[in-house]
Amino acid sequence: MRIRRLFLVALLGVGAVAAVPTAAHASGGPAELFECVEKAIEVNSDGEKVDYVGFEQSLEDCKKAKSLVTPALPEIIWGGLAFLIVLVALMKFAFPALKKGLKAREDKIREDLEAASRAREEAEAESAQYRSAIGDARSEANTILEEARADAERVRRDVVARAESEAAEIRERAQEDIRLAQERAMADLRAQVADLSIGLAEKVVERNLDADTQRALIDSYIDSVGSGSR
Amino acid sequence: MVLGELLPNVNELFEWKGLVGPHTWYEFNKVSLMAFVSTAICIALFWFGGTRRKLVPVGVQNLAETGYLSIEENVSLAAMGEEGRKWTPFFATLFFWIFFINVWSVVPFIQFPATSRLAIPLFLALVSWATFIVAGFVKQGPKYFFSNINPSGVPLALKFLVIPIEFFSKYLLRPLTLAVRLFANMTAGHVLLAIFAIMTNELLIERNSGWYQVIFAPLPFLGLVAFTAFEMLVAVLQAYIFTILTAVYVNESVHPEH
Repeated sequence: MRIRRLFLVALLGVGAVAAVPTAAHASGGPAELFECVEKAIEVNSDGEKVDYVGFEQSLEDCKKAKSLVTPALPEIIWGGLAFLIVLVALMKFAFPALKKGLKAREDKIREDLEAASRAREEAEAESAQYRSAIGDARSEANTILEEARADAERVRRDVVARAESEAAEIRERAQEDIRLAQERAMADLRAQVADLSIGLAEKVVERNLDADTQRALIDSYIDSVGSGSR
Repeated sequence: MVLGELLPNVNELFEWKGLVGPHTWYEFNKVSLMAFVSTAICIALFWFGGTRRKLVPVGVQNLAETGYLSIEENVSLAAMGEEGRKWTPFFATLFFWIFFINVWSVVPFIQFPATSRLAIPLFLALVSWATFIVAGFVKQGPKYFFSNINPSGVPLALKFLVIPIEFFSKYLLRPLTLAVRLFANMTAGHVLLAIFAIMTNELLIERNSGWYQVIFAPLPFLGLVAFTAFEMLVAVLQAYIFTILTAVYVNESVHPEH
């Protein structure tokens, strides 16, 4: 900014300095007057014949200053031509190209803005979709978790129940086995005791009883022994 | 008195020898040369600025686009509304050509605005005048010539007064005022700069009355610097005024209800 200001001041200084000699030598006044007088002489002298009155008049015309407000025809012609050239060149070629460039940029910016807006909308929609999907997934996961928990509980209960039932079954079977074994053992014992008793009784009584009588005696004995042992 | 003796005939500040064909109808002098150089500058600026297609404009492209859009916004749209957009190329040409031809007044070693010769402002004023009349005629047809000078709502008794005034104002005085405004401002600026320059020259270089003059030389020189800056402003301002007035006149022609 400071450089620009300095540059501006410098430019003004140069302009002002240049104005002094330019203004001092601006006009070719005397030279033009000289030319005018020469022309007056030339116009009013025809060989030996000199038109003094005409010369005086021409001299007076030379002294007269040209009016400042009289437009000079050559300047109108050249100035007008220069303006028409710039008018045609700019309006026909330069400005349409410039406007085309501006339009292209305007379109590009508009398209970019629209694309950005569209992309944003799409991203927002996608984000909402993702959020919704995440919500769904979360809810689904919760459901699955709950179901899994419920299933696990159910399985646990089933397993426990089955185990308990199996255990009870095993216990019952074991008890049954024990009872059967006990009964079998008792029967075996009873048979052995009977045999021993028979043998023993035969020896003691030394008489022979038929087998059925012996067996009936023994059974009654065992029963009496069994009831007495209980 | 002193100034009167120092200063040359004022016409000497504005008269230039013909470079080609002196004293003929096709005389080509410094003013004509400036007009063509201004034309070349305008074409170069907008040609190089307008044909570049950078998305982010820099340099001459930036200058050309900013210049064009400034005229569109501050002249076309400001004076004519949305319809003014299509007139922007014309107004932009008018503005920039007048500006470049004005600004010679502060270009070192040239220091002469071509618009301080009546020929060029007069030609431009005639172009402006023809433009708004043709625009009105194209838009409204032959009734334009009367409706333009017959404002609605004026009592019948006053119309006898108003219509002639409007006629003179719109058809005769407008081109004259446009031309004289530009010409007079640029002429006055040039004379002012010349006076300060000649005073500085007299005090600092010629010293006709002695060395003590040198003490006072900075005063007119500072005035010269200040008025050089002021002339730059005048160059822009006069170009803008001429262009906006043309836009206003065109708008009046194409929108008779306003």
